[in-house]
Amino acid sequence: MLALADLTIDYADWHARYDLTVAQGSLCALIGPSGGGKTTLLHMIAGFVHPSSGSLTFEGEDLLPLGPAERPLSMLFQEHNLFPHLTAAENIGLGIDPRLRLTGPQRMQIDAALAEVGLAGLGKRMPGELSGGQRQRVALARALVRKRPLMLLDEPFGGLDPGLRADMIGLVDRLRKENGLTVLMSIHTPEDVAGIAGMIVFVDEGRVQAAGTPAEILSATGNPALARYFRSAPRAEGQ
Amino acid sequence: MTPTGRHRSAAPTGVAGILALILIVGIIGLAFAGLMIAGGTSGFGGSWGYIRRLVLVSLGQAALSTLLSLILGAALALALARRERFPGRSLMIAAMNVATVLPPIVAVFAIVAVFGRSGWLGDLTASVGLDLGSWLYGLPGILIAHVFFNAPLAARSFLAALASVTPEHWRLASHLGLPPATIFRIIDRPVLLREAPGIAGIVFLLCFTSFAVVLALGGGPNVSTLEVAIFEALRFEAEFARAAILALLQIVICLALLLPIGTLARRPQQTVSSGVIFRRTDRDIRSLRILDAFILLAGAALIMPPLLAILFRGIAGIPALVDPNVTRAIWTSLAIGIPAGLIGTALALALADLSRRLRIGAAAPRAADAVGLVAIMILVVSPMALSAGLFIMLRPVINPLSVGLPLIVLVNALMALPFAYRQIEPPLTLAAERYGSLADSLGIGGMTRVRLIDWPLLRRPLIVAIAIAIALSLGDLGVASFFGTGDLVTLPVLIHRLLGTYRMEEAASVSLLLSLLVLGLFLAAQSWSGDWIARAR
Repeated sequence: MLALADLTIDYADWHARYDLTVAQGSLCALIGPSGGGKTTLLHMIAGFVHPSSGSLTFEGEDLLPLGPAERPLSMLFQEHNLFPHLTAAENIGLGIDPRLRLTGPQRMQIDAALAEVGLAGLGKRMPGELSGGQRQRVALARALVRKRPLMLLDEPFGGLDPGLRADMIGLVDRLRKENGLTVLMSIHTPEDVAGIAGMIVFVDEGRVQAAGTPAEILSATGNPALARYFRSAPRAEGQ
Repeated sequence: MTPTGRHRSAAPTGVAGILALILIVGIIGLAFAGLMIAGGTSGFGGSWGYIRRLVLVSLGQAALSTLLSLILGAALALALARRERFPGRSLMIAAMNVATVLPPIVAVFAIVAVFGRSGWLGDLTASVGLDLGSWLYGLPGILIAHVFFNAPLAARSFLAALASVTPEHWRLASHLGLPPATIFRIIDRPVLLREAPGIAGIVFLLCFTSFAVVLALGGGPNVSTLEVAIFEALRFEAEFARAAILALLQIVICLALLLPIGTLARRPQQTVSSGVIFRRTDRDIRSLRILDAFILLAGAALIMPPLLAILFRGIAGIPALVDPNVTRAIWTSLAIGIPAGLIGTALALALADLSRRLRIGAAAPRAADAVGLVAIMILVVSPMALSAGLFIMLRPVINPLSVGLPLIVLVNALMALPFAYRQIEPPLTLAAERYGSLADSLGIGGMTRVRLIDWPLLRRPLIVAIAIAIALSLGDLGVASFFGTGDLVTLPVLIHRLLGTYRMEEAASVSLLLSLLVLGLFLAAQSWSGDWIARAR
């Protein structure tokens, strides 16, 4: 279980306080307007932003004393997941050995991860030679070889076409099931995860405003902020 | 593609640009013709062995200077990039900026004042009974002076490139826990290697055509550059044919050097990032702290003492400024620098306008690029080659030294032209690219368009260009010496004379004065542009 309790951040002009629990092995989607605090939430869990108070635990372990690389998680960003002048295989290899001194078995592990995300044989490609979706697959492969139980994704497929986006989310879900991952993913288009997510969380103004099953959240019953968001939010088919 | 007549409203014909083009190409063509004629005459006094040696020595000292400058510059840039919060950082960067814009002859004084026999180092070694002798004159002095200018120049370019790394790389490095060696290998080193060829090319060109440093510190014929040899052949030995051959060689070599630089110089990459600041993750490593401290100390040891020497010895020598020769040199320098700066900027503006008309109005980007090449022709036809050519062409008609002042102004204006053009052309073209269609659709044309669209975007770059152009002209020693006479003495020429007669006190005070003039102009430019001398060179 991932648990955030009173996790607080105080900037001069912006405050956020998060309470949230995500069940082990589930996929939880974060939605909400830009600037509402989804990325801050993810960055705080990943260790890039330091809370002023509150607690953050995963499977009972306190994450707050740990540096970003020590936390039991892998993160996928919308962009800049890969170093542009390293090959796909080398970018994945950084997840196995940050010094990039790879042994034979480790190279096979990379090939296996590439195959797992549907990129078999493309290890020698540079990121610039891959499509946006393929680059995110490489980043997913690296997350796999890092073998961390928690995966954070910050609008990872926002730049992709709707069909491709559905494929990628399906891939994330398959990897979650096969590897027993807990997944927390912020998205622009809630419909994409309607049949997949165990929980959708609506974040706005630095707070978790609503949380529930996809059916509950997408029907937006009884929460004016959520209803307003759905009226203004880009729909999957509209993008 | 382009609707016909769409840009007609923008445009009288760019007459000023065409006139500027004719003027510049005419002058340079005239000088080139002079060199060809004189170089073809039979009176060539000098052996090919001498010329071959001269070229090799020029290239050799430039290569060595470049190598040292790039190594030190890259190390300084890395240390400064990693030490974002080191307390002396802004002082160090300011000192580096000052070092890169000091007039070369002032730097020569400063280096003599620190490393020379009668300088601080000499005093120090003398106190333990060691005589430095004239170790500084020759290759050591040239290398120190060239590295003093160019290591900070290289460091600044490298630092800017390192700072422009996609900030998200640091987030990723932090997320993956990359160790410092990997960070250097996959983030810093590719940036340094990408920038190095362009920076090396520019530094090499500056050192290869170096004049003041080599003239004052070369120690006679042993170590020289073509630029100095042209000067000496013409002014001291009246060897027109040899000067012409050297000048033509200089042109050929500069062209050969500039062609690859042109292709190497990359446009800065635009990286899209979230705007969030992610800090470098290798700041807190103990061994790197020690390494960086060592690098910064070494850099400071090279850059700071000469600057302090100008300040302290200059202040001590202030009484020496009360001298009619100094007063006259000030007026002479201003009488040359101000018109040269203004003419250089005006030519740049005219060419930039023509270039824009060609690029946007006539959709002829190649022609526009060609206009840009005319603006930087002086980098190929070096100031001394141009001066020599003009000297040879004018000599049958008039004694060139009797019209020294206008000739110095003219050549200095052409020398400032590339720098002024670099300030003016981008915003002028941008104004049309960004707002041209909007202005057309609103029917804004003619002077209204200049007033509402071009002028607001151009005002600052224009003033910056004028300040830089004047500052560069004020620092010129070569052309002012070439066409100068006993009556026509600028501040750099005066400093050179004082150094030559070992009058260090007076040299110090005039150096300080000239530094303050030049720095004042650059500071004014900075406060107008917000971005210091970053675009000056």
